[in-house]
Amino acid sequence: MGVRIWLPFPVLLLAALPPVLLPGAAGFTPSLDSDFTFTLPAGQKECFYQPMPLKASLEIEYQVLDGAGLDIDFHLASPEGKILVFEQRKSDGVHTVETEVGDYMFCFDNTFSTISEKVIFFELILDNMGEQAQEQEDWKKYITGTDMLDMKLEDILESINSIKSRLSKSGHIQTLLRAFEARDRNIQESNFDRVNFWSMVNLMVMVVVSAIQVYMLKSLFEDKRKSRT
Amino acid sequence: MAGVGARLLLPVMGRPALLLLALCTAGAQGLYFHIGETEKRCFIEEIPDETMVIGNYRTQMWDKQKEVFLPSTPGLGMHVEVKDPDSKVVLSRQYGSEGRFTFTSHTPGDHQICLHSNSTKMALFAGGKLRVHLDIQVGEHANNYPEIAAKDKLTELQLRARQLLDQVEQIQKEQDYQRYREERFRLTSESTNQRVLWWSIAQTVILILTGIWQMRHLKSFFEAKKLV
Repeated sequence: MGVRIWLPFPVLLLAALPPVLLPGAAGFTPSLDSDFTFTLPAGQKECFYQPMPLKASLEIEYQVLDGAGLDIDFHLASPEGKILVFEQRKSDGVHTVETEVGDYMFCFDNTFSTISEKVIFFELILDNMGEQAQEQEDWKKYITGTDMLDMKLEDILESINSIKSRLSKSGHIQTLLRAFEARDRNIQESNFDRVNFWSMVNLMVMVVVSAIQVYMLKSLFEDKRKSRT
Repeated sequence: MAGVGARLLLPVMGRPALLLLALCTAGAQGLYFHIGETEKRCFIEEIPDETMVIGNYRTQMWDKQKEVFLPSTPGLGMHVEVKDPDSKVVLSRQYGSEGRFTFTSHTPGDHQICLHSNSTKMALFAGGKLRVHLDIQVGEHANNYPEIAAKDKLTELQLRARQLLDQVEQIQKEQDYQRYREERFRLTSESTNQRVLWWSIAQTVILILTGIWQMRHLKSFFEAKKLV
């Protein structure tokens, strides 16, 4: 019995590691924040589902990046099917809900548009996911060796943790800025195409109209001359 | 195997052992969506260059008799296709019902990740629905830190420092890419502005010239017809 307890730490770790670290062996543990960008064709609707535990917080932020009108219908439903958020023809939105156990469904609806497909960006931020999320950070139990200077280590670790959380926030803001910039760039590029196209059309119309005017007037006088003689 | 490990671990570190088991059995509790048999779902990732992207997915098939989703779907495959900003195919592979795909970007821009199922077996199930759990990790989120810690034998402090360095590097790459995009954006805006200005001037000049031509042509026409 005593012998078993004294098995060295790394051996015990190695015994337990494989099921967790082998990729794909036991499913994957997804991260708490995820963002996706996808294309929604005209006349279609797409729904996504997010399982949530009790008393966690679900924040969803979406933006329409491309597509005529830059708007979309959005709705968020609780696990029982009750509609919590219903927005029509908005170009961006952010919603936070405190959750109960179950799968939350949110849908983007482009059925009102017959020809233009939309590019939609959405970001899910999950908080207070509970025990499971906490344990995800316990990877530090897997490290080898010890650190000297235990007393000072606490302070250093604290400041490092705060740096990490601030960098995460910076990363987050960058994602948002990227979405805004993508949308503005798409607007500009469509402006550019529009200016080119309508200038050409304008030129054609002017030339054709002036030619028609002149020939119509001339034809009026030619008829009169024939009738006179 | 996990059972033996747990029995040995429990006397030494009770709670963490239980959590290992929990991680093994909990599976994915992330975003999922439904996909039809021939349906293709595409996601766009706008990333800087030399960035690694790891995608994990898990599929579940709808069982019409039991009206529930089966926990796993043997024999069902998903085809994953990744295109780079120049529409060149970077990755095009078939995976099983559960899989992970990885690619590294070599040009900055919009990469398109498309998933569709390759199976026709779903036609046997009248529901024809497949549930896909998907998770895409970009940049430093794609790094597997427990593995790196074990491989390089890092202490906790060193591992944290390594994490911070990776994070800062990713932010810097994103900023460089942002600068390149902003430049492109500015060029398009300036070109549009210029075109609007030149076109307005050209339009005015053409209108004036056309007016002059019309008047002169009609005047000479009327004079020829002896009306003026």
